[in-house]
Order: sequence, then C-alpha cells, then structure tokens
Amino acid sequence: MTTRKVRYKKLNIKTPLPVLREHQIDANEYESLTTESQIVTGVEQGEENEYHLQAALKGVGASVDNEIPVPPPQKSVEADYDELYPTPYVEPRNYIKSSDTVEETLKGSLYDMTTEDDEFLKNYNAKRPGSAHLSEHDFERIMEIFEDTAAESAPYAEVDNTFVPYELMSQAISHHIREKSVQGHAKTIYEYWRGCRQVTGNKSLHPSLKFETHQEHDDMDPYVCFRRREVRQTRKTRARDVQVADKLKKLRRELEDGRQLVVFAHRREVLKREMLKTDKLVYEQRAKLKETKIRLNIKTDDDDLVNTKPQKRPKTEPQQPPRPTPHNQLRLAVRPDGGRSMEPVELTLLRDKQSERQLELLNNIELRVQDHRRWNANYIDLTADPLPPVKEEQEQNFRPAKTTYLMTPPASASDSMEVDETPPAPEKSIEPFVFKATSLEDSDEEEMPSFRRRVGRLGRLFIDRRPGKLRTGLSSPSRESSLLQSDRWKYDDDDDDDEPPVYKIDTNSLRQMKFRSTIPLPTSLVRRPGLDIAQLQAANRPVALPQGQALLQAAQAQAQAKAQALAAQGPSTQVPLVQPTMAQQPPSVQPP
Amino acid sequence: MSPSALNGEAAVGPEGPRQKSKATVDTLGVGCIAMVEKNGQARRAEILSIKDTKSGRQFYCNFDNFNKRLDEWVPAKRIDFDHDVEWPNPDKDKQKDSKGKNATVSKKKAPPSKAQKRPGKREQSVASESVTPHTWPEVSDTQPPSKAPSTPRDLEQKSAGTPAIGGDEMDVDEDDQAPEVKKEIEFSREAEIEKLRTGGSMTQNPTELARIRNISKVQFGQFDLFPWYFSPYPESFTQEDVIFICEFCLSYYGDKKSFTRHRQKCTLQHPPGNEIYRDDYVSFFEIDGRRQRTWCRNLCLLSKMFLDHKTLYYDVDPFLFYVMTQKTEKGHHLVGYFSKEKESADNYNVACILTLPQYQRKGFGRLLIQFSYELSKIEGKLGSPEKPLSDLGLLSYRQYWSENIIDLLLELNDREEKSSIESISTSLAMTTQDVEHTLQALKMQVYHKGEHKLVLPESMIQQREKAKSKKKRYISPENIQWKPPIFTASSRTWGW
Ligand SMILES: [Zn+2]
Repeated sequence: MTTRKVRYKKLNIKTPLPVLREHQIDANEYESLTTESQIVTGVEQGEENEYHLQAALKGVGASVDNEIPVPPPQKSVEADYDELYPTPYVEPRNYIKSSDTVEETLKGSLYDMTTEDDEFLKNYNAKRPGSAHLSEHDFERIMEIFEDTAAESAPYAEVDNTFVPYELMSQAISHHIREKSVQGHAKTIYEYWRGCRQVTGNKSLHPSLKFETHQEHDDMDPYVCFRRREVRQTRKTRARDVQVADKLKKLRRELEDGRQLVVFAHRREVLKREMLKTDKLVYEQRAKLKETKIRLNIKTDDDDLVNTKPQKRPKTEPQQPPRPTPHNQLRLAVRPDGGRSMEPVELTLLRDKQSERQLELLNNIELRVQDHRRWNANYIDLTADPLPPVKEEQEQNFRPAKTTYLMTPPASASDSMEVDETPPAPEKSIEPFVFKATSLEDSDEEEMPSFRRRVGRLGRLFIDRRPGKLRTGLSSPSRESSLLQSDRWKYDDDDDDDEPPVYKIDTNSLRQMKFRSTIPLPTSLVRRPGLDIAQLQAANRPVALPQGQALLQAAQAQAQAKAQALAAQGPSTQVPLVQPTMAQQPPSVQPP
Repeated sequence: MSPSALNGEAAVGPEGPRQKSKATVDTLGVGCIAMVEKNGQARRAEILSIKDTKSGRQFYCNFDNFNKRLDEWVPAKRIDFDHDVEWPNPDKDKQKDSKGKNATVSKKKAPPSKAQKRPGKREQSVASESVTPHTWPEVSDTQPPSKAPSTPRDLEQKSAGTPAIGGDEMDVDEDDQAPEVKKEIEFSREAEIEKLRTGGSMTQNPTELARIRNISKVQFGQFDLFPWYFSPYPESFTQEDVIFICEFCLSYYGDKKSFTRHRQKCTLQHPPGNEIYRDDYVSFFEIDGRRQRTWCRNLCLLSKMFLDHKTLYYDVDPFLFYVMTQKTEKGHHLVGYFSKEKESADNYNVACILTLPQYQRKGFGRLLIQFSYELSKIEGKLGSPEKPLSDLGLLSYRQYWSENIIDLLLELNDREEKSSIESISTSLAMTTQDVEHTLQALKMQVYHKGEHKLVLPESMIQQREKAKSKKKRYISPENIQWKPPIFTASSRTWGW
C-alpha cells in the first residue's frame, strides 16, 4: 500500500522537529518532497475505495467541499409534534442529575394499547352505560397484568403454546387492582387478550427484541442482540487462591461480627421486654396493694406505690460514682419490687432526699463543666489549629495545668484535679483493660508532636513530623492515625539506632506557635482522662463491643505497643508482626 | 487505491470467471450483478433481495463502490436487461461452506445447510481483507440465484433454486482457491471472533439479512428519518411503513396508537443521566449502560440505523454513553452521542459516534469529537476512536485532527519552536499514530536535507484562516463538570 521510498531514517516520535511554513523551505523542493502515499484510514478496507469517500478525501486539504451523499431527513408532515410532545420543559438552574430509568419515569402502565385494542375497547364501551366504561388507562393495566403473568408463569408459551388460565389471571388481577369496578372487566378482556395472543403465535403482544437463547443459530441471527458479555477469565494462580481465601475469611469474619451485633441487639430487646413485663407486674401488684390498703384502711404515705425512692437507696449506700449509667438504673428499678416490694421499711427519709439533691447538684455541675468544655473545645478548634486533631496531652507538659484549670468553673467531681496533679494515675487504673493498650504505651515523650531533622541520601534535608499521641477515648480514627504515625516513624531512623532528637515544637509554623502561646489550655484537656475511664468502662463491657472488633483493636494495640517498644529499643524479633501495617504507610512527612 | 475507483467503475472484478448471460425479470435472482440506473447513470449493482409489490417486482440493489446507505429498492424498469447479467459464482458457495465451523473438514461436502450458509458473508468479508482488498468478491458470494421471487424474509429459500447456468454440482473443483488462502481466512475468522469477544462493539454483523435495510422510515420527534442500515428492531417492524420513536426515551413503536399512548405516559425530557456539560448551545449527559439499560439499548438500536459497523452483538453494560443534546422549550433533544468502554483494553476513547441525520453537517460531529478528547485530557490519557471508522467518521476525525494540529503548529511556528510527534500527541490527547497519519495525510511531514521536518503548506493555512472566520462553535472545557468514573474491581470481576 505504502509507495513511499524508505530511503530515510525512521522518524522517532520523540525527535523534536522544526516546524516550518512552506516558504521557509524552497517551495519547489517542497512540491517534490510531498509524495503520493496511502495513509492508514481506519476505514474498513472494503469501503476505503468507495467513490464518495475517495472524492471527499481528495477534498481534505483543498477547499473543495465534497460531501458524502446520505438519504436526507425531512420535517415530518404527519406528526403533530405539539400534540405528541405537549409538556413544556423547565430547565433547572444547575446541571441535571438524574438516575431514573425509562421504566421508572413512565407514569402509567408499561402496556401501550394498539390500534386494534383501541377498536376493541371502543366497541366494548359502546355496549355499556357510560358509568361502566373501561378507561384506556385501566384497560392497559389489565393487559399489563395479563402479559406479565403470562411471561412469569408460562415463559415458554411461544414454544409450548400454553395459555395461562383465567383463574390464575384473576388472582393476579385482584392482587394488583383494587377497584372492583375495574376487576369486573377482567374476564372479557382476558378473552380478548387470549385471542390476540393466539393470532401472534402466543408471543408477548408488544413487539420485542430477540435476545440470545444460547442455541447455535443465535450467532447467525442478525436480530439477536445485546448478548451478555462473557466474564473475563482470571488466571488461576496460587497467589490468587490465597487472595481469594483471605477475602472469604475476611468476609466470614465481618459477617460474624454483624451476626453478633444482631444477636446482642436481640438479647437487649428481649431484656427490655422482660423489664416491661416486670414493670407491668409491679404496677399491677401495686394496684392490688393499694386496694388492700384501702380495704384494710392502712394509712401510710404512698411511697411504696412509687418507684423513685427504692431506686435511690441502693445507690447512696455503696459509694457509687456520681453518674449512674442507664444500665444501673434498669437493674435497680427492677430489684426492689422483686425483692421487697411489700416491706414497709421504705418510709424514709430526709437523708435520702438530701443525698438526692446533692447528687443532682453534682450532676448539674458536671453537666455545666462539660458544656463549658465543649464550648471551649470548639473555640480552640476553630481558631487555633483546626487541621490536626486536638493536641491535648502534650500541652500538659507544656504549661502548668493548674493555671488553665482556673479558667473553667470548678467542678465538684474531683477526678480532674487528681489527673492534673498525677497524670499517670488514670493510666494505671486503666491498665487491666486490654482494650486500652493503645494509649497505655503512650510514654510522655510521645505525647508531644515531635520533629526532628535528618539528612537523607544525597544530602537532602528532611524534617520528620510526628503528631502527638492521643488518648484513647477519642474517636477511633485519631487513634489509628497516631498508631500509623508511630509506625511510620519507627522505620525512619536510618541514621542510628538511638532515639532521634525530639524537638518539642507544636507545629512548623512560627505564627501558630506564637498564637498558641497566647491562648489558655482548653479545659477539655484537664477533664479528659477522667472521662476516659468512664468511657472505657462503658466500652469494656463485653456486650457493648462485638467480639471481632474487640479482637481487632486488641491486635492493633499490640502492634502499636510493639512498634513503640521497637522504636525505643531498636530491632527485635517482633518486627514481622508490625510490618504489614508499615508497608502501607508513606515514608516521612517532608516539610512543605 | 487505484484511481479508477474514483470514476465509479468497478475497481475489481470477480476473481474467477463469472458466468455471464442475459436475464429476465423472472430469472434475475439474488446474488446476480446487473447494470442498474442510479442517479441517471447505469451502475453495476448486486441484487441482495427481491420482493413483489402491488406495483411489480422490486430488487434491492447494492451499487458498486457506493456506500450501503445508498442501497435501494428499484423497480425492474431501472435494470438494464439488454446488458449481460453476472451470475453468482457457485465456487463461492463451496468456499463459504468450507470456512464454516468445520472448516477443517474436506472441501467436498454436501450443499451447505442454512445455518452454515449464513456465516458466509462475514467470513467472506474477512477474507477480502486478508487476501485482496476487493469489493466485489465479497459482494458476490451470496446464495445461488433463484428464479422464485421472494420477500426479504424468505431469503434462505433461494438457495434451493438453481440458476440456468451452473448448479450446485459446479462447485466440485476448487481450482484457483489456494489452500493457504483458506488457512488465512480461517485464521482471521478466529481473530474476528476473538475480537468480538474481547474488544469493543464494532464488527459487522455477518449475515445477508443484515445487509438489507429493514426499516424504511422513522418518525422521530419533528423529523422523518430514512434509515441507512439494518437495525435489529423487532422483526415485525420490517412490515411497517413507518415506525415511531419517542424522542426522549427512544422507545420504538410500530403502531401509531401505541406510540400516542406512550407519549401520554412518558415523562422524560432529557437523557436519563447526569448533565456533565452545558453551554448556551449544547449539553452533554453521561449515561451508564448498566444503569440505564433500556435507554441505552434504545439508543443503540436507533443509531444502528445510521452506523454500518456498529454491532449490537453485546449488551450495553460495559459502556458509558455521552449524549449531546440541544435544548428547546420541549426538552433536551438528542443530537448525537458517542459511546465509550468503561475500560478499553486498547485505550479507545470512543467506541461508536454518531450525529443524528437531522443534525448532520452543522458542526455537531466536531463538538462530539472535541468532547471525547476533552474527557481524555481530564483522564490524562491519549485517546483514539475504535476502528473501523465509517466514511463519515473518518472525514470528521480527519477534519478535527487537522484543524487542531495545524493550529498547534502555527503557534509553534510563530514561536519558532520545535516539536516532536509525541509532544503534539500529548498536548492534543491524540495517539501518536493518529498524529502521524494526519501529518502524512496533510503531507506536512517531509524528509528534507537529512532531517525530518514539519511543513505547513500555505493552502492549508489559508483554509484554516477561512474556517476560523466562520465562527465555529467549540466546547468550553471549563464548563465540564466531570470526574473520570471509577469502576470497582468487583464490577470488573463479575463482568458487569
Ligand atoms: Zn418516551
């Protein structure tokens, strides 16, 4: 095809070529340089030589307008466009977003009545009083049901010529159509429908496309279209098998977690029901008691008929933490009735009242403290340093906690004070819970965002940044991120095995540091560890946490612990355990 | 290839000697080649089908070196019976047979059954590609002619008939069909099937039936369209004088009442997807073939009437459809579209592309093409349309490519900068092959004094200037609100 003489060296697509105008090289020369050649067109070869195409191709580059003739479209004379398309269109201001399918956007039945149907229906209606007329809409609904039911219950009707009997159809009709008046037409329409199907060889009445039947002649039938594409075969390898197995295992695990969740939820609901039953019982018993009292004319105050008192008592006796969890309340609410509802001991007491009030007060203060903290926290978040997670712990080391503590209303609950004075205390108290392990390992120096400078290959200067650790009790993402970062950091000391120098700086930015130095520490920091305990206790209740997740978290915590141990002590045998997490981490954070 | 093609004469004749003799209206059969009047000229034409109408017998003719879209039913009076008719070469039949599923079996075989016969057309066209790029051999290998008149639908029956000269027995010797030719044919058939399996959407449907336009007229919105090619609408539509297609949901109706009823229920006023481009002239919608299966199938059926090389062999699921519309007070009217594989193994950025006939020659094709390249730019990929291109497709693409390359080169020339094929390719998101082919087609790539150079011919520059003064419309990339869609591994694994 190509007649070009191959006397010159092949053109490399990367070679820069001078771009010239015709007059920039000798015009005559240019003439002679341009040889006739056949260029790949991408058109099917059999058609490449078509008369009109060749003529048009000659025209490219010249100013000739050679057009390929095509059968011209016409404005339709028959169609009454405005009648067929009456709805005016209102353009939304924004780009249109839509995902409804054609079927979903149809308002009405999928069956469209034909000219014959129309004739039939007109005749049919003509014989009946106006009130008993069947509308086109309802006619279509009935026909649609017939067609659908036929397609469903006799999919091979075309081949075996079965007709779905009217009994079956009428069931479907009464299922889909409520109006008795419409249902009444079904029988006659059925006969008509049957007749129509007979004429068309029991095919579906709507002309339909031919789809594959998986028989050999399919391939040769040009009317058969829209075949399913064969699924691409993925090569079977051992690695792939393992991969698939892993995926299945993971899936199994996750499903199990889900199942557990459902089981627990179910158990909870069952318990709730029990409780309600008991409550009802209590109520009924009390009603009886009251009757009895009246009958026997016992005059005490009606404390034993109310729930409040008994609830308080057990709480004040053993020195409970100030905030009873809802769980406690449940249990306590039940107990008195079952155990000693009839006992008259309950008549007291000023003591109770007082302690109740006291408790209320404490709770109130607690609430306010929390409110204030929340308010403060938001404030700090927005203005000081919205991007990184709230850096709380590290700042403990930064300035005397007492000073900032004075900024908030004093809380009656004293654990916050304790924390400030002896930070490690809460951590120790947490120790027994495996779940807590992540934050357990937070040694003091890691609570600061730390920076270090190191010189990499080719003398490049890196500044590695490691944000400070966060205590558990924060949402899991932040915990994870700290985990990742410590991991990342662990592999960064390529210079030496020793602990790299850690600069206790808040962030890179001087401005931020300045700003930071002017603001007081948020109260949330002060309160945090105390809160943690409560949350942990809640979280550690086995019911609250699906087994799988707990395991996972424990594993994470372990990995974290190891990572940290490693970072401090250099390589050890545990390395492989941590590595999988590591592999996904980007190396180090470079300064912008 | 040979210049004579331009004169509309048969560029090639049948390979073997063809039986020639006079025919009559009654003996002229399918597969015969006769001289038929077209646009006032006598032209060789192959008879693809015959039907009897009230006004007499009509012949469906495919004209030598004319695109299939110009095929038509002609009455007997337009056929020159004074001229010898070329009878179909029975050898072809034999060859076709041996190429069938059991091609390895010996050539001597019983006359082919219907099922085996049908694939013949496609294989033949493949053969013509792999052996000689001849047009007519491909055309001529239909069934033996028959005396019996027939409608397009009983085409197969014709094979039973025997022409006056040469019967089935004549296929005994396979003299000039060299065995290696056949091997090659077989090979490319495999390749072809493989292509169908793995590739995009376009390979021609093999059968004879598909060569004959089956819909004569379509009422679509305000227009009557006259289809160019076969489209696998329900078979019963073949008998309708006109079919009706809803302008918005593209549903098709053979019955006017049904269509009217549908219009009362249809609420669509724009393509059922997300608008990803809008300016004061056109909008683009992105439609997922999987989500909008009905709509996209309807679109494919519609466009098949105007695209020869589109096949609806496979379903629409693996494709995205980018639909260009123009807005009126009635809604967004379909102007054109291109489809694109969600994942193209060959990095095609367009599978099929079409401007509806009523919008052709108004510059919409260029907008479609530009849009496809804008998407490729956003994806950071080089794109190229899937082959084969249609004649109209080739012209549109050539035009788009040359315009853009010339504009780019003019700038470079002003700045006296050099440019490599690769850098042109990157800045236009065109493949390097397309860049090179365009440069060659425009004769801009020359070898001069031991150096490759790009030269902008004066005529080209003037033409470009003139075109620019016409104030053509362009896509404004900043109006595109689109991110390359990502399809998950699972959707790939499960084959959509
Ligand atoms: Zn519609």
